[in-house]
Amino acid sequence: MPLDTSTYSLALLRLDGRRWNELRRIHAQISTQAAADGSSYLEMGNTKVLCTVTGPAEGRQSGQRGGKDSEAKVEVEIGFAGFSGLERRKRKNDKRTAEMQHTLETAYSSLLLTHLYPHSTITLNIHILSQDGSLLAACLNAATLALIDAGIPMTDYLVACTAASSATSSDSDNSDPLLDLNNLEEQELPFLTVGTLGKTDRVSVLICETRVRMERVEGMLAVGIEGCKRMREILDGVVKEYGKKFS
Amino acid sequence: MEYFSLKRSNAADRGGLNLSSKVYVRSTKSGKVQKIVRELYLRQDIPCSSNLCRPCLETAPTDYTKKVAPFVLSDTPAGSKNFPNGQYLVPDTNAFLTGMDLFEMETAFHDVIVLQTVLEEVKNRSLPLYHRLIALTKNEGKRFYVFFNEFRQETHIPRDVGETINDRNDRAVRKAVEWYNQHITQAVKTRSKSQMRIPSVVMITDDRDNLRKAKMEKVPAITLADFVFSLENADELLDMMSAAQDQREVRSKKTEVFYGEHYTVSKMMTGVKAGTMHQGIFNVSPYNYLEGSVHVPAFDKSLLILGRENSNRAVSGDVVVVEVLPQDQWKAPSTKIIEEETLNKNDNPEVEDGETIVSERERKALQEEVKRAHGQSSEGKPLPTARVVGIVKRNWRQYVGHIDQGSVRSTSKTSRQQQMVFLVPMDKRIPKIRIRTRQAGELLGQRILATIDSWDRDSRYPMGHFVRSLGELESKGAETEALLLEWDVQYKPFPKTVLDCLPAEGHDWKVPASLDDPGWKGRKNLRDLLVCSIDPPGCVDIDDALHARKLQNGNFEVGVHIADVSHFVKPNNAMDKEASQRGTTVYLVDKRIDMLPMLLGTDLCSLKPYVERYAFSVLWEITSDADIVSSQFTKSVIRSREAFSYEQAQIRIDDASQQDDLTNGMRTLLMLSKKLKQKRYEAGALNLASPEVKVQTESETSDPVDVQTKKLLDTNSLVEEFMLLANISVAAKNYEAFPQTALLRRHAAPPKTNFEELANQLKVKKGLELRSDSSKALADSLDTCVVPEEPFFNTLVRIMATRCMMSAEYFCAGTQAYPEFRHYGLASEIYTHFTSPIRRYADLEAHRQLAAAIEYEALDPSLQSKSKLEGVCKNINVRHRNAQMAGRASIEYYVGQALKGKDITEEGFVMKVFSNGFVVFVPRFGIESLIRLRDLATPEPEAQFDAENYVLKVGGEVNGSVELFEKVNVRITDEVEQSTGKRKVKLTLV
Ligand SMILES: [Zn+2]
Repeated sequence: MPLDTSTYSLALLRLDGRRWNELRRIHAQISTQAAADGSSYLEMGNTKVLCTVTGPAEGRQSGQRGGKDSEAKVEVEIGFAGFSGLERRKRKNDKRTAEMQHTLETAYSSLLLTHLYPHSTITLNIHILSQDGSLLAACLNAATLALIDAGIPMTDYLVACTAASSATSSDSDNSDPLLDLNNLEEQELPFLTVGTLGKTDRVSVLICETRVRMERVEGMLAVGIEGCKRMREILDGVVKEYGKKFS
Repeated sequence: MEYFSLKRSNAADRGGLNLSSKVYVRSTKSGKVQKIVRELYLRQDIPCSSNLCRPCLETAPTDYTKKVAPFVLSDTPAGSKNFPNGQYLVPDTNAFLTGMDLFEMETAFHDVIVLQTVLEEVKNRSLPLYHRLIALTKNEGKRFYVFFNEFRQETHIPRDVGETINDRNDRAVRKAVEWYNQHITQAVKTRSKSQMRIPSVVMITDDRDNLRKAKMEKVPAITLADFVFSLENADELLDMMSAAQDQREVRSKKTEVFYGEHYTVSKMMTGVKAGTMHQGIFNVSPYNYLEGSVHVPAFDKSLLILGRENSNRAVSGDVVVVEVLPQDQWKAPSTKIIEEETLNKNDNPEVEDGETIVSERERKALQEEVKRAHGQSSEGKPLPTARVVGIVKRNWRQYVGHIDQGSVRSTSKTSRQQQMVFLVPMDKRIPKIRIRTRQAGELLGQRILATIDSWDRDSRYPMGHFVRSLGELESKGAETEALLLEWDVQYKPFPKTVLDCLPAEGHDWKVPASLDDPGWKGRKNLRDLLVCSIDPPGCVDIDDALHARKLQNGNFEVGVHIADVSHFVKPNNAMDKEASQRGTTVYLVDKRIDMLPMLLGTDLCSLKPYVERYAFSVLWEITSDADIVSSQFTKSVIRSREAFSYEQAQIRIDDASQQDDLTNGMRTLLMLSKKLKQKRYEAGALNLASPEVKVQTESETSDPVDVQTKKLLDTNSLVEEFMLLANISVAAKNYEAFPQTALLRRHAAPPKTNFEELANQLKVKKGLELRSDSSKALADSLDTCVVPEEPFFNTLVRIMATRCMMSAEYFCAGTQAYPEFRHYGLASEIYTHFTSPIRRYADLEAHRQLAAAIEYEALDPSLQSKSKLEGVCKNINVRHRNAQMAGRASIEYYVGQALKGKDITEEGFVMKVFSNGFVVFVPRFGIESLIRLRDLATPEPEAQFDAENYVLKVGGEVNGSVELFEKVNVRITDEVEQSTGKRKVKLTLV
């Protein structure tokens, strides 16, 4: 029987061999699809997502207008590959997917300089190829890259990470916050997703769907924000690397 | 435009970390096969945890608070014959599976490295053993270190093509041992150039192939037995090794099979789903070891399992799957007492040849049964009978017993010859256990603790091994420990971590004088109320106190004040965890095993007289007709004016010359309690008697002097009524505040069938009618069960009715629908335990919930989680029951001791009639005992059993008859019972 998260306290090692403050292997590329206005591919461990950006485009059909008169509307669509994850239930109108879409729409509506594109729509298409935890964080990171690729101006990078509170061992109340969860950890531990803006500590996305003890939240947030900073460096590296190819 | 490939380069982009992956294949519910790929991050900073090693200390991981875990393995580990420089042990999976008791010994097996590979395998094979292993890694004195070899780069190995998982795991263990040896050698050498002892890292395995490969690869390895042999206390230790080891070799010689094969898990699950098989817990009758029963949801009455073949190696308590037999094979439950001891006295533990599962004597005993079953009608009606086809979960525990003298070949104390003996468990429902030992001579006459290891198809009895001796049979120390072990009561002294949670002031702790002190925050000052406590004499852990006074509007204010334990015991600290494990204080005749440390239980929490104490108070306004006008809950400070015994309180109330306010308050309480009681009975509450016996002991020696049944006074029920009222009020309040997680107590209505037999007995023997359609009907009809010339008869019926009831249980509100909350016995729609937090954990949890409900303090998260609370309930339900059983067993032992050497004639009543004996209850001592036909005369007289009329006609020189409910005179002597080694009262008919 595989061990579970309760063994963390035995040697401060997580189920995949990481320490509490380590990210998984992150791999990212931009401009992966020439046909799109902007695109990216991102892996956080075995979570793999593709993102394409279309727009900003003016209302496509007559009668259908983009955003409000003064600014562009951000639309997000998330799709799952048939082989993407363990659960192959109906995904289409899944509530969780709708919530993720909504989270991304809200976050990018305020982040992007939408007033530059009145009456138009910016569409993000996210395709999930493989799921192994931290799905929302991966979507946010991939979307940020694709938007940069599309050249849509924004105030700063929006980057995201997950953080959890490790299981307490029976004889102590100590619990380490854990960074960047995989699927197994997400199933067993209370966790949150935090997104910050660029190099600042400004939190722009914070989602927590599990019950967690109040006194644990502080540590989880601190570790999550620290993780976001490292994530930003990695994404920034990807962008600059890409830039170099054309300089 | 450049072409971008989505395929990533293999170059690891993480400094120092290497990535590997582990591929699992699993099948989903729909039957498809899924491949799961998991990442593995390989690293070099996993320490060896040896205090000999400095490099590892530098790279040791820190946690969030920047702390480094201290290294575990000693720098001077113990050595042995083969490894004089000391050794670190690396057991393989089988070593733990067969030798866990050995590894748990305090005197041996220190500095052990538990490999991740092994830990995973142990978890796979046995969860209980896995938990014991985890507990060992947390025991500082034992120095067990878990090394995550699969994550360390040097010790991680992929599985070769064509290699079995077992072979791969064996290789991983050898690889880790090899690495450890090199690493430790290196560490010692860099530490000092001069000659130093370099300990060996030794693999322990019994697998021959693994040993051979280790030898080839020059990895130090030894078998568990060889290692134990090289230790000083080898004899004692070797007995503890699971018998499973030797059996492997023995088995190959014999192929005879006694029992049917168990079905596979999938076959059982399909059967259960389809309704052709049923799952339930296997219980063995206390009167007949060959008769078991399994209650399954599909049948009202329990399914009957008769005989060894049908019970197919199930041991009482196991979760089994059964198949109902064709109706022509259905049988009636036994009316005969069958004891293993008398039938199979001469079985030899050593010889298996020519043995059949069912001995000839057993077969005869059962055949007589069947004949009778088919010839009879009502009483002997055949019931659905089933056979066990598989075992879902073994519930084997450690068993206390003694060595059967007849099974010992050589009783010489000096003999070191290994022999097979029988351990006869104290619990009659457990079969004899075969045990291999080298110290049979010494173990005779001792109380022994042993476990069952296996029960194979080719073995008539289960195999087990010796754990330890508790001391001489019948000695107080051994017998007390035996019953504590049998009922799983934790009786070890509180560990330091628990005592550290106590207030630093110790006995000098006082309620703060200043009302501004934070301790007073949210507390009502009730010090002026005339509060007193009423308890059994000598009570030192005073949970509750009461007061009553007249209000100006003519109503009364009544207060129940309960020790404020939750102030001292905070959720989740070591003391709370210990208390939650213990669940309840256990009362034995001469000993109390506390749930909380003495300082709290008998002093700081205890509502002692004349001192100020924190309390949790329930205050009601009650009319003179005992109707509740309002209730209120508050934390408070009280000062009890007096601690009465029931008797003292009664005397004071009855003494008309006492006209002080305190006494008048008690009179008010008594008056109201009588009205409350009346109301409860009108609502259908049951008055069920259970014989309570008090053993008088001389305090110094605590040797029993006399035994008497407890007397009940009005003041007993005074206290009881108000405690019930407080519990009910708190239950309602907590449920209102926490509809999902309130911890409540329910008592289910008994299924009608439970009363069928008793109702029939009363009808046939006394022409009385027992109705059980509601608790009210039952209560009323119990009242009519009287025989004018025999006042005790009614009590006897109540005792028997109690045994037909379900047992009450704690539960979490969200797990039941509201109508199921009902407490049948108390006729209350909701109930909880609140009034004894010093001695019951449930009450402590209720205090915490109530404190949150009145917004005194925030609720701890552990009390918000339904699943956690369910776990708590499950545990305290078991503990509660065990505590009762242990208490009863203790009384039984002391009654036996009190009657030692005495010869008394007493009145008794026949409670149950079998075809070869009957059970008599003696009210004076609260004992019941079996009288067998063969006890009446030798040779055993002929007898005729009229099951329809519950009469046993005994012929021969006795020439008389015994019938149900009959009053008989019995002679009480004592004897040591052969089968259990317990001193028990023996009854004979006069
Ligand atoms: Zn080291």
